[in-house]
Amino acid sequence: MHDTDKNILNEIQSDFPITPRPFQELGRRLNLSENEVIEAIRRLRDEGIIRRIGGNFHSNKLNFISTLCTAKVPEEKIDDFVEVVNSYPGVTHNYLRNNDYNIWFTFIAKDMGYIERALKEISEVTGVPEIRNLPAVRTFKIKVDFEV
Amino acid sequence: MAKRTSSVIDKLDKEVISRIQGDLPLVPRPYAAMAEKIGITEGEFIKRIKDLRRRGALRRFGATLRHQEAGFSSNAMVAWVVPDDRVEGIGKILARFKEVTHCYQRRPQKDWRYNVYSMIHGSNHEQCYEIAERMSRFTGIDEYVLLFSKREFKKTSMEYF
Repeated sequence: MHDTDKNILNEIQSDFPITPRPFQELGRRLNLSENEVIEAIRRLRDEGIIRRIGGNFHSNKLNFISTLCTAKVPEEKIDDFVEVVNSYPGVTHNYLRNNDYNIWFTFIAKDMGYIERALKEISEVTGVPEIRNLPAVRTFKIKVDFEV
Repeated sequence: MAKRTSSVIDKLDKEVISRIQGDLPLVPRPYAAMAEKIGITEGEFIKRIKDLRRRGALRRFGATLRHQEAGFSSNAMVAWVVPDDRVEGIGKILARFKEVTHCYQRRPQKDWRYNVYSMIHGSNHEQCYEIAERMSRFTGIDEYVLLFSKREFKKTSMEYF
């Protein structure tokens, strides 16, 4: 990756300017033109390196709750299970992991009751009894910018 | 107008959030473009974003990367079984490791006893194992498991409003 790209990525993860001409401001910091910054970001997005540029929220401050769920799903049921789980808009991340508890997904909703009902529903529809809800009781760290 | 308290997310906040929870338009004045969509001025839009950040509802504003493409090819969730009376101390120690991006205490379950979770990022699986081993030596917690993501089924940002 070019140094210019690296510099842009390091600059826009947590310190993206909230000013009328943000790309011009980034250009000033990186010694590039406004248009060069926009085109570089567009390319990095098209290449899939940048997923999106926008806000990340503390869901509890917006009166939502979030939790991590896991399920023990037999190999032959994985596709169906994932399809059902992913159909809930509050499921934002879903991964296959190397454990008997092999499906791991995050769930955001207005209240925990909704999530508990959804998990019960998922269990009934898919025939997977072992779904566990693992809500966070304490946060020690959230850091999501990476030095590239 | 009365000063808004930190817990109140009003109608206009929701409209601003509905714009910035997606992807910023790549135009010279992206805030003006988003403001126009909800019928407010660029200045008001920017002020709302800063206000949401000040109140702690907006945790971060910026780019989210795909780690694999950006050179971080391996991530593992390390789940630990920590005695209740040591959770606070251990959680704080784990959080200080630079390789750790997220660290939570979670409610354990009858057949899943892990109660502390730390997400670590490395350039490969071996490196993740080394990091976890170092964390284990440092904390004295030796009951842990590394959960690698083998497949991504979904990764989106939440649409709140």
